[in-house]
Amino acid sequence: MDEKITQRSVWEKISAKLSKRSLWMLHYCTGCGAIELPPTMTARFDMERFGINPMVTPRQADILLITGYLSVKTLKRVVLTYEQMQAPKYVVGFGSCTINGGMYWNSYSTMKSLDRYIPVETYIAGCMPRPEAIIASFNELINKIDRGEANSWKDYYNNYNFYKENQEHTFEGPIETYNDIKADAALFNIK
Amino acid sequence: MNTVLWIVFLPILLFVIGTFMLGYSRKYVARIERRYGPPIQQVFYDIFKLMSKKTNISHGWMHDFAILMLLGGTLLTMYFVPVPGFHFFAQYGDMLVIMYILLIPALGMALGVGETANPNGSIGISRALMMLAGYDIPFVLTFIGFAMINHTTSMYELIQVQQAGGFAGWGLISQPLLGIAALIALQGMLGEKPFEVMVAPHEIATGPMTEMGGKFLGIMMIQHAISIVVELTIYINLFLGGAVNWFDYLLKLFILFTALISVNAVFGRFRTDDAVRFMWKIPLPLAIIGILFIIF
Repeated sequence: MDEKITQRSVWEKISAKLSKRSLWMLHYCTGCGAIELPPTMTARFDMERFGINPMVTPRQADILLITGYLSVKTLKRVVLTYEQMQAPKYVVGFGSCTINGGMYWNSYSTMKSLDRYIPVETYIAGCMPRPEAIIASFNELINKIDRGEANSWKDYYNNYNFYKENQEHTFEGPIETYNDIKADAALFNIK
Repeated sequence: MNTVLWIVFLPILLFVIGTFMLGYSRKYVARIERRYGPPIQQVFYDIFKLMSKKTNISHGWMHDFAILMLLGGTLLTMYFVPVPGFHFFAQYGDMLVIMYILLIPALGMALGVGETANPNGSIGISRALMMLAGYDIPFVLTFIGFAMINHTTSMYELIQVQQAGGFAGWGLISQPLLGIAALIALQGMLGEKPFEVMVAPHEIATGPMTEMGGKFLGIMMIQHAISIVVELTIYINLFLGGAVNWFDYLLKLFILFTALISVNAVFGRFRTDDAVRFMWKIPLPLAIIGILFIIF
């Protein structure tokens, strides 16, 4: 990991410095955590200070914020959404449900660990995290992009077999996502 | 030589002005909402980020082509609209030409979004063309009214006529009905809040931009930055007496844009049919009465 960081060219460093100031967020709000987002966006905490804006379609978004638990059905939609996003893309797991299942640990229908299905960049611990915690995690993400460490999205292209296996195991069958991940990785030369 | 320099640097200049104006509008709206708001150069960051995306999914040949048509149509309009110091193309194309080529970006967008086959995009395009029918008729009528008084369709000559008359010669002062009609139509043309039916993020997921990501959206944002400056310049040239120098021009742009985004910041959004009905109830009769005043 360290070797990759030191190997960045000057252009990549400048690019990271500028790109980190503009992150558009798609919030996937099936869980209860969605209630913490309005104060984060509006006058009290105002995340637009950092250039983070809510966006409405996956094509335009950079951050996929998963608030709360995911069931088998909603996980399929999250995978579809994630694959439609354009490449430097960062998943932020919000709340303890995405980390280890949280209070839904014994549930028969919810996912326990989000990073088995899609690569997660940062987690926000808590049940539920306050807006301060959301802002802090976004700042952590911004610093990671600046340092060139936010490369988890490449994992999905390079280790696609791992994620696909986990997805298919959960869905008990092949998943149809309309996206050829390996062909995309070859087309856009992602290593 | 001077003309060549203008041709090369005018798009860059207007892009920088437009980008700062968009950043200023975001800061302004944030302050009205009692937020701190993004830095004024935020739109530069956004465009840079979009242009440096690693993957750019294209939906086909027409999708790629239409984005260029969108940008090209706007650049073409930009060259025909006189700005202080540069009116080389204005002698070859009068207001009739500008009226025609103002429609090219909308048609280009319709072609590209049709290729992406996203239902939200199609709804957005149908709304955009509906709004076009709403605001274009009052706007064209004000064009016609001005051509009738001054017996010319050249925008450059209209600026000369207004500047010869001093402050009282400004279109907004001498023909207030036409000026107000065109101001409301301009709000619709810019797609600002009461008439923001085309984008409408909460209803149709930003409409035409739904399937645009990465470089496609980046080029659309560049086009948007240039087009707001061009549309405001058309209004300044017709109603605010043009501009004698760049200081005058930037001041008029700033004041006009601030007035429009102040309305944008405090209004909700009309429904599509209400927006078109409003356009045909208020600005259109105003423009017709204004023309009747000119005829009789």
